[in-house]
Formats: sequence, C-alpha cells, structure tokens
Amino acid sequence: MNANKLPWWRPVSVVAVVGALLAASACGSGEGGGAAGPESGDGLPPVVRVVSTNPVTGPAAQNGIAANEGHHLAIKEINESGFLGDTTIEMEEVDTAGDSQTAASELTKAITDDSVSAVFGAVQSESAVAQAPIAQNSKMPIIFTQAGSDGVVIGEYTFRLTPTMNVYYPILSKFMKEQGWKTMGILYTAATPSLEMIGEETLPAMAEELGIEVVSSVATQGSTQDFTAPISQLLKDDPDGVAVLLIGAANPTAMTQLRQAGYEGAVLGSAAAASGVLDPAGEDGAGMVWPVGYHPSMEYEASQKFTEAFREEYGEDPMFNSADSYDAAWFFARALKRANSANREDIQKALDEIAAEPWTGALGENLTFTDRILDVPGVVVEKTADGEKLLYYASDVEE
Amino acid sequence: MLQDLLGAVTLGSIYLMFALGMSLAWGSIGILNFAHGSIFMFAAFVGYLVLAQSPLSLIALVALGVTVGALLSVLVHVVAFEQITRWTKDHRTAEMQILIGGIGIAGIPLALAQYETRSNPFGFTQSSFQPTVHVVGDLRVSDLQVLIVVAAAVLTTAIALWLRHSRQGLALRSIGVDAEVASMMGVNRRRFAIVTMAVAGGLAGLAAVLYTFYVGALTPESGETLIIKAFACIILGGVGSMAGVAVGAFALAFAETLVLTNFGGLWVDAISFSLIFAVLLLRPAGLFGKKAVRRT
Repeated sequence: MNANKLPWWRPVSVVAVVGALLAASACGSGEGGGAAGPESGDGLPPVVRVVSTNPVTGPAAQNGIAANEGHHLAIKEINESGFLGDTTIEMEEVDTAGDSQTAASELTKAITDDSVSAVFGAVQSESAVAQAPIAQNSKMPIIFTQAGSDGVVIGEYTFRLTPTMNVYYPILSKFMKEQGWKTMGILYTAATPSLEMIGEETLPAMAEELGIEVVSSVATQGSTQDFTAPISQLLKDDPDGVAVLLIGAANPTAMTQLRQAGYEGAVLGSAAAASGVLDPAGEDGAGMVWPVGYHPSMEYEASQKFTEAFREEYGEDPMFNSADSYDAAWFFARALKRANSANREDIQKALDEIAAEPWTGALGENLTFTDRILDVPGVVVEKTADGEKLLYYASDVEE
Repeated sequence: MLQDLLGAVTLGSIYLMFALGMSLAWGSIGILNFAHGSIFMFAAFVGYLVLAQSPLSLIALVALGVTVGALLSVLVHVVAFEQITRWTKDHRTAEMQILIGGIGIAGIPLALAQYETRSNPFGFTQSSFQPTVHVVGDLRVSDLQVLIVVAAAVLTTAIALWLRHSRQGLALRSIGVDAEVASMMGVNRRRFAIVTMAVAGGLAGLAAVLYTFYVGALTPESGETLIIKAFACIILGGVGSMAGVAVGAFALAFAETLVLTNFGGLWVDAISFSLIFAVLLLRPAGLFGKKAVRRT
C-alpha cells in the first residue's frame, strides 16, 4: 500500500459522520422543523406546560425574577380558582442569564418538546429579537413583556404585552409644559435601542412641539461608569431642564454627579430607573420623573387587585415587570380556555381572538391591542426622597 | 474647560489606583490577575453589606475595603495561582493558565454579589460620610475628588520609591527579572508573592471604596469594565513601571475626556484605544517599558 495515500474508508467515514451530525442538528432545529406540540382535538389535557425564558442571573436579573414572580402569581390564581376546570398550567423557568444565544437555544429546546404549548419570551430586547424569528418560524406562540424594540412582534405567533417606550413616553409632555422649560439637555445611552430612540427622536420631537430648544445632546456608551465629563457637556449651555436616559447603575451615578455639578431641577428619566435602582443616590435621586406602564399606586380595580395579591404573596410592592408578566399569563390562560386545546396553532388563533377584544388586567382597563401589541397608556411617576409618587395618568394629558 | 480637566485628573487617579495593584503583581511576580476587577467589586460589596448594619465612616470603610481586598487577593493566589505555578514546568506556560484561572475565579465573587443584589446597583448611602462640593470660582470641587487625587499620587510615589530604594523592593524587582536566580540569592519568592498579592488586593479595595463614593453606585459587573482599562494603562505605560502605569492611566483618562467633549460619547472607547494602539506601534514595550537584554 502507498504510505502517502489515505485508505478509501477514511474520507467516506468522515463524510458519513458529518452527514449524521448535520441530520441530527436539523432534526433538533427549531427553525421550520422540530416538534409540533400537543395535538389538537379532545379538549384541554390535565396539565398544560409553558416555559418562561427570562434572565434570573446576569445584569437583568432583577427584571427577569420580577417577571417570573408575576407569571407564578397568575398561574397560582388560575390553577387554584379552577379557571381551566380540571386542567392546571405548569410553568418551567429557564435562565437565559441575559445572553441572547442562551435565550434562543432555550426557546429551541422548548419548541422540540412536544408537551410545551407556549413560551413566555425574554424581557431583554436583544434576547427577544433572537427568539422572535425562531418562534414565528416554528409556530410556537410566544408572549413577550418589555423587550421594546423592533423585530420582536414579527408575525402571528408573536405577542407583546407592553408597547415600545416611544409610544407612551410622550405622556411626559404635560410635565415638561408645567415646568416652563425653554431649553433642555439630553443625556442618553446608545446601549439599548429603546433609550437611544427616545434620546435621538422621541424626546427632541416632544421638545420641538412644546417650543423647547434642545441645547445639548450627549450620547454615552454602555461601558461608561463616570459621568462627570458627559454631565459637564450636558450642562455647558445651562439648560432649564435635562433628561437622563440610562440603564442600571448609571442612573444613580448620573443623578449624584448631576447634583454635584450644581443642577437642582427636575430630571426626565425612564422606567430603567424605577423600583429601587435610584436608591444608592439617596436624596440626589429625588426629582427624576418617568413614564411607566404600571405603578402600585394605580387605582384601576384590576390593578389594585393585582397589587394586593402580589403584596400578600411576596411581601413587597410589585415591579412593572411583574404586572406585565401577570397579565401575560392570564392572556395565555384565556387563550387556552377559548381554544379548549393545548395545541400551539389553536392557541395562536385564540390569542388573536382575545387580542381583538378589550383587555382588563393589572396594566389597566379596557385596553386594546394593535398588531398583537397591548397599548398601555401608562402613568408618570416621580422619585421622591422616601420612595416613588404617582403624578398623573395618561388620561390626564390633554390631546 | 477647567471642570473637564478636574474630571480627567480624577478619572485618571481612579484608573491609576485600580491599575497600580495589577501592575505591581504583573511586573514583579509575573501574575496577570484578571480576578482583580472582581476583588475590587467584592471589597465594595462587603462594605455595602456591613453598612446595612452600621453607618461606618469613610476611614472605617477604607480599612474594611483594604482588608477584604487583601485577604481575597491572597486567597485567590494561594488557592489558584500558586498551584498553577507549582504544577507547570515553567512560568511561560503558567502565564496563560494564570490568566484563564483568574478569569474563571472572577466569576465566583461576581455570582455571589449578583445573587445577593439581583444585579441591582449598590452604594454607600448609609455611610456617615457623604461627599461635599465646594465652589472655587467657576470650579466645583468635592472633598472626595481631592482625596482621590492625593491618595493616588501618594500611593504611586510611595510604591515607586519603595521599589527603587528599599531592600525588599530590590528583592521584588529581582523576582521580576529572574525568579530562579532571585531564589538562589536567598529571596523567599513565596513570601514576597503573598505580600505582593496582599498589597495589590488592598489597593483594589481602597480604590473600590473611593470609587463607589465617587460614582455613587456600583453593580456586580462594574469591576469587569475597569479591568480592560487597567490592562490598557499598564500596556501603554510599560509592564513593571510605576511611572508608566501612572502616565498610562492619565493618558487614557485625558484621551477619553478629550474625545467625549469633542466627538461625543459613542467614540470614547474606539478613539482612546486607537490612540493607545498607535503609541504601541511606535513603542511596543510601552512608553516606559524596558527592552529585554539578551546575551549574544
């Protein structure tokens, strides 16, 4: 035998192994293939399975944990009240750790599991954008909350129970008008699409409509930790008012350094500063104002019912993520009841039917869906020295 | 302009205090500790936990931060780096393993802090010390900024002088040049390594406390961003040079401030690191790096 020539069976076996691996991955792929889920036909099974894909570790852990708490509370109510008769919902939590790849692969695992009827999608936009096409192509109903960027609600199998921030942010116009500002500065992060859009488009448009001149606009990276220089730029033309659109620890840092720089007025912010995020700033955090879909002080009957149930279950006030996800679980349960089936296609049709009707839940009363996205009017909240205060409802804003 | 200058000097001082410990360990005992950021964060985190029980003063918090940083750094060294060095045949092989080991170990304090805080920001609002701002003409200066700049200057000078003029400093530098020969000359490498790591960790703890007061809040992930900056400062200045890391820290801080005030915040990292890269093209060993001497 020629020592330099490979035996014939070597390349053939390599090709065979590679082919087998490709075939196995195609069988496991969620894209256009994979399991079809529970069968249609004989009513609801004894147990309906849903998977929640949220970050319970990583930078967005607080939001993911709050979302799961809302899901759990709703599912507990649904099961205990016998809303679905003898059928109960069982939710499996998987941790995406704030990573888009993990979010996508956990969704794929759920898709290939025949017993899973639907998925609660990730709260982070980056993860949601990775999940949406997989769910849509695999015909898996997926209900998102938060995740307010384009590319999330992309087809009949994708739903979201919160609008994008730029839809409800304009309710802050009433506050801006009351402040009497003539000029303003905007400090924003380009790290998230929603805040970037607010900083570059929505807020400047609102200012223009109110006759307020934007005299400074400073974009920062997600990695920025010291805001001394950005704030110096923000305040160089001495604006009457400022907006600080940042995420995580950047909020208390910016508020602390803003006050140290001598700015004492009100600050427009975002819901990313809600639920205790500003606490490390102490008194310096007071005076930030933001619009949000839900607040524990909301007086709608259904909102109050949710708030009290959450306090009883968990001993603390709910975050907006919990209210969103609570409604998401009820949305799913109502679709199950309407479809009388745990089949994915049946559920999708039922979700569409329910989305065509007025919605009442933790997020408000008689709300409507537009293109499978719930229109939440929102409220405006102010951070005070000892907590948060609801300033007004979207319905208080004159057209 | 003057305000921006003060901001840049303060930022540079923070980078310097953070990078000083890393540079000391890397330049002398050859340990490039990528758990340094995690140690920094955890020192502040422990301060936050203790503050929930008792309103500590600045001095008490600094003492706590330095102690936690030192102990954690020594623990990481003894449990991981020392074992790696013992079981690998030469230091070259050990270097990569130490780097990876540091990244891996960094995950433990990070996970603990993330679990406890749910990755929410934490700070020192409960402390009896809160920074006070003074207005001097057009300049707003806080007492904390003065403290940070002075601390960075004093520590850097003290360490540089100690390394240059003391017997222990000479012994430590000899380990950095040739550990085997230093050992043969009677230098106790293990003892020096532990002390060096303790000092490096203590510096991280000090930087953590001052930085937390300065920015108001940290998250469990805060140390990771600073690691990259510190690495850049050390490379720019030259490994093993205290003057180099000082120049590197201020060069980076000034570059970032200059870019932000002239081109916007989105270009800070891109342009700042490009400047560093440009300098390294001209001086690959860094601004104050020493060329290797080889016998021919």
